[in-house]
Amino acid sequence: MDKKEQEAFAHKEELRQEFKKKTYIEDIERTIYDVKDADNSIYKTQEGLTEEVVRDISARKHDPQWMLDFRLKSLAIYNSMALPTWGPSLDDLDMDNIITYVQPNAKMTGNWKEVPEDIKNTFDRLGIPEAEQKESLAGVGAQYDSEVVYHSIQESLVKQGVVYTDMETAIRDYEDIVKEYFMTLVPPKDHKFAALHGAVWSGGSFVYVPAGVHVKIPLQSYFRLNAAGAGQFEHTLIIVEPGASLHFIEGCSAPKYNVTNLHAGCVELFVKEGARLRYSTIENWSRNMMNLNTKRALVEKDGIIEWVSGSFGSHVSCLYPCSILHGENAKCEFTGVTFAAKGQDLDTGASVIMTAPHTSANINTRTISKDGGKATYRSAVKVTRRAPDAKCSVNCESLMLDNKSRSDTLPVMDIEGDRADIGHEAKIGRISDEAIFYLTSRGIDEDEARAMIVRGFVEPIAKELPLEYAVEMNNLVNIELEGTMG
Amino acid sequence: MNNDLTVFSRIPMRTWRWLGVNEARVAGPIPEKQENESLLVEAGKTEEYILTRRAGAQQNVDIRIEDGAKLHLVNIQLVPTDETATSRVKVTVGKDAEFRYTVVEAGASQAMSELDVNLAGNDSKADIWGLYFSDGSRKVDLNYTIRQAGRRTDANMQVRGAMLDTSEKIFRGTLDFIEGAKGSVGRENEEVILLSPGVRNRSVPIMLSHEDDVDGHHAVSVGRMDEDKLFYLMSRGLDLPNAQRLIVEASFNPVLDRIPDEALKQEVDEYLQGRLANHE
Repeated sequence: MDKKEQEAFAHKEELRQEFKKKTYIEDIERTIYDVKDADNSIYKTQEGLTEEVVRDISARKHDPQWMLDFRLKSLAIYNSMALPTWGPSLDDLDMDNIITYVQPNAKMTGNWKEVPEDIKNTFDRLGIPEAEQKESLAGVGAQYDSEVVYHSIQESLVKQGVVYTDMETAIRDYEDIVKEYFMTLVPPKDHKFAALHGAVWSGGSFVYVPAGVHVKIPLQSYFRLNAAGAGQFEHTLIIVEPGASLHFIEGCSAPKYNVTNLHAGCVELFVKEGARLRYSTIENWSRNMMNLNTKRALVEKDGIIEWVSGSFGSHVSCLYPCSILHGENAKCEFTGVTFAAKGQDLDTGASVIMTAPHTSANINTRTISKDGGKATYRSAVKVTRRAPDAKCSVNCESLMLDNKSRSDTLPVMDIEGDRADIGHEAKIGRISDEAIFYLTSRGIDEDEARAMIVRGFVEPIAKELPLEYAVEMNNLVNIELEGTMG
Repeated sequence: MNNDLTVFSRIPMRTWRWLGVNEARVAGPIPEKQENESLLVEAGKTEEYILTRRAGAQQNVDIRIEDGAKLHLVNIQLVPTDETATSRVKVTVGKDAEFRYTVVEAGASQAMSELDVNLAGNDSKADIWGLYFSDGSRKVDLNYTIRQAGRRTDANMQVRGAMLDTSEKIFRGTLDFIEGAKGSVGRENEEVILLSPGVRNRSVPIMLSHEDDVDGHHAVSVGRMDEDKLFYLMSRGLDLPNAQRLIVEASFNPVLDRIPDEALKQEVDEYLQGRLANHE
């Protein structure tokens, strides 16, 4: 190295150190998401999980006998299963301290005015009814703790036979359909938390789109967990009949408590022949949440499932939406972004199982970790012998904003037969000094330059979201980055 | 090291059990015959070493490459197809030192192989080129890890493979960037050509990072023969088996070309060609 080079190197090193100094700053407050409301619930089960608790929940929800039997069978499976041997530590979770059912002081209503003031305020703060009034949503559901407190759907959709309601109503009014599909795609035996869900599930949404009906404006359910030390176990069941289409949005948040809350929801999506379903999620649970959610889609011939998944919140997350491409030509698009900050261990990804010819999947993810956060990308692509000419392309990129954080990728491809075409690509790295240098030399200040690069990094995901959510995601990214850059 | 007879090797981070990739398991007994090697490359020296395996055995190789030294290790496995061959190669690489590795897993009923490279010194380098070939009902199970602990380390893991008949293979390749491995780069690439409808291929490219100032890439491509290439070759008058053979050969060549001993290279080449021809 000659002297000039040495100087340049020293300068670069200096710049680098300077950048790094700015990295360690506490998170800022999560403002609107963290507002706690007084716990006005009218009933809570006792803590822990026993047969009495399960029977109690079932009786309060006026379950039919088959559902009570199902719950008890699930409880037995739960008790017989071990915790998973992989993934983030679940040591913070003590089921004996989790309240599995919290009934809010509100009855399900289709009229926003009837929702109690405190609950209404919460959702108002989160901008939920606003979006409905602006008609950017065709239907809205809102769940507060264990029960859905509000559900509405546009009249025109009802006329076309679209059903959008809470699961309790669905069991009452569409019992045959629910009985046919409920937990068939994610059976309680799937894993310990699926069994837990089967035993204590409550709330959630039921959507039925009849053949050929296109729901042009999205439906949205919002889940809010307010009670401390509680669990939320909502069940979402969506059936999109042949040739129909739907965009469903799910949002989640909770204020922060010092005790662990648990979310073990379950989403089952049935996409029939030639149907199309887009399922978007922005998950922003507080940092005391264990988010152990299970999502799965079964896609028939020529059907399309599109997942858009943003994971920002929670203390620990295990979330891997699974698509089973069961019919010829079925397709899956998965777009995900995960942002792990201080105290977070977010284990996210996707899995695709291809069991029919000419199926194809595209998985595209971005993960960011900062300030000691741990982000893991985990995926599985399985091509069985029944799926000749399957195609799959996976692209995952990880950005680390400092060296206190961790970023791991663990993809598995399992391919049978000789006619598959599978590509996988992954990258890990930091924001390059060159990129920062270039932008600052163009007169952009350094913080803005970094924010620009991160926004550019998540852009492929942001552009898949509906506008309001893209804005929300950008805000979340900005909130996180302000913490980074001070 | 574990002495469990069934579990031969494990990946550094577990995943879903149903995929069956968390552990490499040996069916039946591990061969009793041991081939143990311990190599020390002294500071500043450059050495080349060739290991050839022609009978089922368990190979254990322990290597230390001191500061500024270089080693090229060539490890060729041509074990008869009814015998089990296992291999465990453990390497520590010092400051400014370099480990080059050329490995061919072509024979054995079960070829189990664990490679563990520790780039401990600053500016150390690992350049790994592996080739596997499986046919019949043979099993190939590989678990390669490069730990990048020093600053400005450079890791390159390139693996090529071809699979026939009802053979099965698992390749796990891990790049592990340890905290403090500032300025390190790592690349990992696997290319698999699948030649029969009965094969099962599992690929697990893992990348772990505890350091932001790194540049890690991995890529896997699994698939059938490139039809354009086949079409081109066949339009030039080659029949299908010959065209296929040529494409496989082209994919293997970057690995085979690194074998320094001409006679050995010729032998491996003929062995592979013979097996490919048998298939037709």
